[in-house]
Amino acid sequence: MIGSSLWARSILAAIGIAGLLFLTAPLAIVIPMSFSSESVLTFPPSDLSLRWYEAFFGDTRWMDAMRTSAVLALISSIVALGLGGLAAYGLRRSSIGGRGWAEGNFLAPLFAPTIIIAVALYIGLAKVGLLGSFIGLVLAHAILNAPLCVMVLGVAIEEFDLRIEQVAWSLGASWFLTLRKVVLPVLAPSLLTSWIFAFMGSFDEVIVTSFIGGTYQTVPKMMFNQLKIEVDPTITVIATLLTTFTVLALAAVAAIRARLSKFKPFAVAQ
Amino acid sequence: MLADSQSDTLNESYANISRSSAHEMAPPPHKNEGELATSRSCGSGFITSGFGFLIPLLVLIVVAFDAPIGYMLSLAFWDNTKGFTFQSYESLLEAPIYLRVLANTLGISVIVTFANVAIGYPLAHWMRSLSGRAKIIVIALVVLPFWVSVLVRTYAWIVILGNDGLVNRTLQWLGLTHTPVQFLYNAIGVTIGMTAVLLPLLVLPLYAAMVRIDDRLLRAAASLGAPPRMIFWKIYFPLTMPTLAACALLVFMFCLGFYITPAILGGGRVSMIANVLDMLINQFPNWAQASAISTILLVVMLLIFAAYRRVDQKVSAK
Repeated sequence: MIGSSLWARSILAAIGIAGLLFLTAPLAIVIPMSFSSESVLTFPPSDLSLRWYEAFFGDTRWMDAMRTSAVLALISSIVALGLGGLAAYGLRRSSIGGRGWAEGNFLAPLFAPTIIIAVALYIGLAKVGLLGSFIGLVLAHAILNAPLCVMVLGVAIEEFDLRIEQVAWSLGASWFLTLRKVVLPVLAPSLLTSWIFAFMGSFDEVIVTSFIGGTYQTVPKMMFNQLKIEVDPTITVIATLLTTFTVLALAAVAAIRARLSKFKPFAVAQ
Repeated sequence: MLADSQSDTLNESYANISRSSAHEMAPPPHKNEGELATSRSCGSGFITSGFGFLIPLLVLIVVAFDAPIGYMLSLAFWDNTKGFTFQSYESLLEAPIYLRVLANTLGISVIVTFANVAIGYPLAHWMRSLSGRAKIIVIALVVLPFWVSVLVRTYAWIVILGNDGLVNRTLQWLGLTHTPVQFLYNAIGVTIGMTAVLLPLLVLPLYAAMVRIDDRLLRAAASLGAPPRMIFWKIYFPLTMPTLAACALLVFMFCLGFYITPAILGGGRVSMIANVLDMLINQFPNWAQASAISTILLVVMLLIFAAYRRVDQKVSAK
């Protein structure tokens, strides 16, 4: 703050650091705990071991859940990316009436309380006999993550110069060719980022999966169920893995964006 | 380098999330509307109009999102024996448990929202005053928890707040208490956990708004002799107020539907609306009652969201 006293600035810094600790301490604590050798949760751990990692990777239930989560996230994120990407493109390139409503509807799953989506899907899927089915899970996850794709790609498409497409058309390229040879390569970094977000979103989803998953166990669902019953140190391992996974995914997104900002092949001089 | 671009990107993508809500209903601005018209004449009708691209997602959303929600909402008004009825709503008003849960949810949500503002505002303000590497690191540290699974973040609080946890051991070491303070499995734990989970949601947009404030404005006030306190309260704070209000509304809205943190840190003893919905669906199937509660929750959220959009639009209009 301009001209504020050293005293005022120190107080602000103290509160700021306390707030930052409040946010990050939980994450900072979980990681060392996962290497503890004790069977009760204490921090800091007195002795280090890989005991809980062995327990985790040796447990077929966790490994099955890991596989289910990965397959579900992979399929649903591809569906979300495909449909979301097309929709984002359509939204930016059409001027038909009701487009605003369509976009509002696409983004609604992001803002509607997840618990209500979960209840609605439970009742709806039960009605059509898809409750506890893998298809139901894929549909649900695709709907939950498509909004992010619509949003991230929408921004990218808006920045994308329409005249490039027009040049392609005017040179006789078909719509499909334009899409494949011009639009997709330019949007590739954004497509990759939104796919990562959709994958992460699906991999982390708990509430809807718990409601409609039936016998399908995903990693977060199993973790949630365990946490409601007892605190098992194996959970620290999965928490550490999930955190690491998030950091890596975010780093990947950052790396893609960093390359993107340096490399703008189609930047047309105004 | 990595941290730099990462924080920028994430901030950006986060800002997109909050910003997009502002123009989500309004058609996006088209800079080259005229050229678009020419381009459309190149292709043929339907698909070129772009609408064709919307259809796949539209079908999915209508079938697997709108229809279930509509069906759920209608259930509350329908009884197989009696037909159309308001009974589900009447029994909500009559049963004291539902009113107690509602009061509980509102109470915790208000406290969490205030705690978020109390911690988040100084934190964002402090972030603005940083520079160089420190700034990048702090932004990254605020963004990271936002993306880490809520389960992980909630779980960590069990470790911190437990009877033998960090906080209790510190309190005992300081001699402030001799028996462990019960932080978990009650409203205190739920409040702490929810505040921590929702904090980035408030801090990031608030920080973005604070960064947009022109330093020259503050310097001008200082050069005219305004003391720092006056600059803060007369210029800085009013400029951040609309964003603060919008973020607080958003946090409050998310609180109302919060499920995971109360379920874990409340240990089944703290009932919020979402946890009651879980019970009504999974334990004693009472779909009509669950639908009635969902309808009310959805309407309340839509109202809050409408208020949020109003405030947010004012912010982005500036």
